[in-house]
Amino acid sequence: MSDADALLNARDLRREYHMGGELVRAVRGVSLCVDRGDYVAIVGPSGCGKSTLLNLIGGIDQPTAGSVTIAGERIDQMSDAQATRFRLRHIGFVFQRFYLMPALTAIENVELPMAEAKMARDARVHRARELLAYVGLGERRDHRPSQLSGGEQQRVAIARALANKPQLLVADEPTGELDAKTGTDMIELIAQVNHDGTTIVVVTHDEDLARAARRVVHMRDGVIVDDRRQDG
Amino acid sequence: MLFHLAWATLTRHRSRTLLATLGVAVSAAMLLDMVMLASGMRTSLRNLLLSKGFQLRLAPKGTLPFDTDATIPDASNVIRVVRTIPDVTAISPVLGGQIHVTIGARTTTATALGVEPAVQGDFEITQGRTPAAMNELVASDDFLRATGARIGDTLSAAAGYDPQLRSFTGRRTLVLVGRAHFLYMPAEQRAVGLPIATLQGMRGADARDRASLFMIRVRDGADVDTVLHRLQAALPTVTAVSTETAMRQVDERLSYFRQLAFILGAVSLAVGFLLVTTLVTVSVNERLGEIVVMRAIGVARRRVVLQIVVEGVAIMLVGALAGLALGLVTARYLNSILASFPGLPAAIDFFLFEPRDAWGALALLTAAGILAGVYPSWRGASLPIATTLREEAVG
Amino acid sequence: MLAALLIAAFSQSIDSTPARRPPRTIAIDERLAADAHIKLGDRLVVSMTPGGVGDSVIVSAIVRRRADPSEVARAEYRAVMHLDELQSLIGYGDRVDRFAVATRGGVAADSAIRRVNDVAFGFQAFRSRDIAVETSRTFLVVSRFHRAIGVITIVASAIFLLCIMLLKVDERRRDVAALRLLGISSRSIVRSVMVEAALVAGVGSAVGVALGWVAAQLINWHYRGVYRTPLAFALVTPGIVALAVILSLVLGLVAGLLAARRLVHMPALELLTGRHEDRRTTLPAAVQT
Repeated sequence: MSDADALLNARDLRREYHMGGELVRAVRGVSLCVDRGDYVAIVGPSGCGKSTLLNLIGGIDQPTAGSVTIAGERIDQMSDAQATRFRLRHIGFVFQRFYLMPALTAIENVELPMAEAKMARDARVHRARELLAYVGLGERRDHRPSQLSGGEQQRVAIARALANKPQLLVADEPTGELDAKTGTDMIELIAQVNHDGTTIVVVTHDEDLARAARRVVHMRDGVIVDDRRQDG
Repeated sequence: MLFHLAWATLTRHRSRTLLATLGVAVSAAMLLDMVMLASGMRTSLRNLLLSKGFQLRLAPKGTLPFDTDATIPDASNVIRVVRTIPDVTAISPVLGGQIHVTIGARTTTATALGVEPAVQGDFEITQGRTPAAMNELVASDDFLRATGARIGDTLSAAAGYDPQLRSFTGRRTLVLVGRAHFLYMPAEQRAVGLPIATLQGMRGADARDRASLFMIRVRDGADVDTVLHRLQAALPTVTAVSTETAMRQVDERLSYFRQLAFILGAVSLAVGFLLVTTLVTVSVNERLGEIVVMRAIGVARRRVVLQIVVEGVAIMLVGALAGLALGLVTARYLNSILASFPGLPAAIDFFLFEPRDAWGALALLTAAGILAGVYPSWRGASLPIATTLREEAVG
Repeated sequence: MLAALLIAAFSQSIDSTPARRPPRTIAIDERLAADAHIKLGDRLVVSMTPGGVGDSVIVSAIVRRRADPSEVARAEYRAVMHLDELQSLIGYGDRVDRFAVATRGGVAADSAIRRVNDVAFGFQAFRSRDIAVETSRTFLVVSRFHRAIGVITIVASAIFLLCIMLLKVDERRRDVAALRLLGISSRSIVRSVMVEAALVAGVGSAVGVALGWVAAQLINWHYRGVYRTPLAFALVTPGIVALAVILSLVLGLVAGLLAARRLVHMPALELLTGRHEDRRTTLPAAVQT
């Protein structure tokens, strides 16, 4: 792959932090290039630094060293406000624990990023409905998260992540809190999202999810130990 | 959207929100009451003093009007001197005393005010008319109730009591011509108003040509202080008191209430502030994950802060509105307690509601609500996203 | 003979020339002395009317007035003169405003009052206590006012306390849920919350009493200066402390109990997950494979 086609270009990323008096080197010099439209799964044992790498890629954490370029922009050099604005328009997040706003309904949760992007009300309601239908929750749009199953909540989270048509979707253990069947459904949905054009980087323990990706990056002890394609 | 989120968050925890609002309402009620107390007495006293348009008063040297039993001698000379001062449009002499009215075997004692009926400013006729002749008087409702007298009755009244002979002195026969509301009297006071010359005559040599007080009306637009200084120069043996001076003196005596109002008002505001800040802090701590995720998905920090601050302000505002109603009720109750001060004119209110007081209290509460929410929300919205998510996952 | 009588008479008149009258003396209160810069031994003129003819007197004493609450708000000056001199000065004649009578104890006072009123001609005898009650009406009003403020404050504090307890206990609902799922009884949990509430109330009471005592000292210091009186305006008594502590303990315990009961009555799983019991467990048909 060439850097020109790359949506995401992470170079020599390092992330260190102190925890309990010890210095933890979560990521130790990782470079990763992801093309537009690609579907990358980052796998590895617990504590290998994959979630930390995802956070750095997603711009919600600052590297100790190295650079992260997304769509030509150095997000590691952005101020907090700039990075926030960038995430709003270019990056969608899906978390293991969903993190929907419990006080809002499903459709309101999906509307939230669009409202922040100053989209007109009618337009964002229309798009939110579309997204919820897309993820299969058209009739559940007025339910609150507490009234939805785990799988349904994760679907809403995916719809929210796609609200502002991000170029990059990052997902941290999206099937981590789901049962096997629901997880399977989720894997199919994520694959569909990628098929429809969104670049995806997912961190997972789930082998099925990893298999669904086009490229698998193995990490151990904060470094990439293997990186292979598995198209087809 | 964010306001909607704030509202949705508040209604999600109904009992907590309700209790906090109730707490703020009580604080707001107390704050409003204290704001009313701080200015109420002053305002109602000023209104009372100026109710009949008399801006100046002359009292015996070194005293406030009716502060003592002292009287001013040479009343007619005082009137003559005052009338020579330009800008004075009216002077009303007042003599205070007691009269004893005998009906059948019963004698009722009442406070008597001797006035010049044409210019008096001490009572308002509610039924009947002002005394026109020297042998006429008007009386308060309590006097009429106590004596059973009615308008048109002829009463036997005396101004003095000789303890040696156990008999009344200064007897006159007076006709009751009107029912009056006495502006400066306490509630439930038996009082009568009659021509000053009549009362002076009834009281005998002690009160000949004497007055307890003169009330002076100044021409519209004239400088009251200039007239005051002229009076002081022309009549050095009396004390001239303007409305402002009287209020200053009363302020000194009742400074306790103003200080109490300030302290309790400040404490109420602090309590309301603490309540909201605690609520917002706990609310933020409970949903740190949500807050950082909002930042993760691209909601700007200041908007996250705004959403949380709005929650605090909403509680304050709703609490303040409820507190306004509650405050008016408690003010009425507290006023009824203080209104029973012995000798306090019934027209004086300690708690007087003025719209600007409500606005002032509301502004203070809003500012407190904003401040209460700013720090905890800013703290929550400034947490590092990745670290917080990690800790939330572990927790 | 006649000459001797004249001389004797003249001598007697010389010998019996009246001795010089000692100067009239007056005692003034310390407020007047301070404000008018009057010292002991100063000569003053006292008259009935301002600027009128009066008596020359010497200040022989400066006195501190007794702490009389009914006079505290009045910025009056006081002077004490010999009775006959004052009567003469103001033309009062052989009259007084009142007599103060000391008796040997309560029974003697009652009998004295009865006898005086029986024979009195134009005056009446009262117990000092009854007069004090009558003149204390102002302070009764102030006491009632303070009590009303106190009640309102207590109500506000109770609501505040309940709200805070609810918030703090609610904050730990997941911990409580986990404990219950582990098998800890609701009763134990409620007890533990109430112990915590009692401790907080106890410590809060102690701090509050200390703060109240300090505030009382400040109030007394301030108002004694303002009104120039030795009166105590605020008193922290054992009774008041006991009332405050008991009240705060009771309020704290009740608040803790209500907050804890609210938690233990909710299903533990709901507390843990935040999900309502009526959540659906199946996916909608559209996404089922």
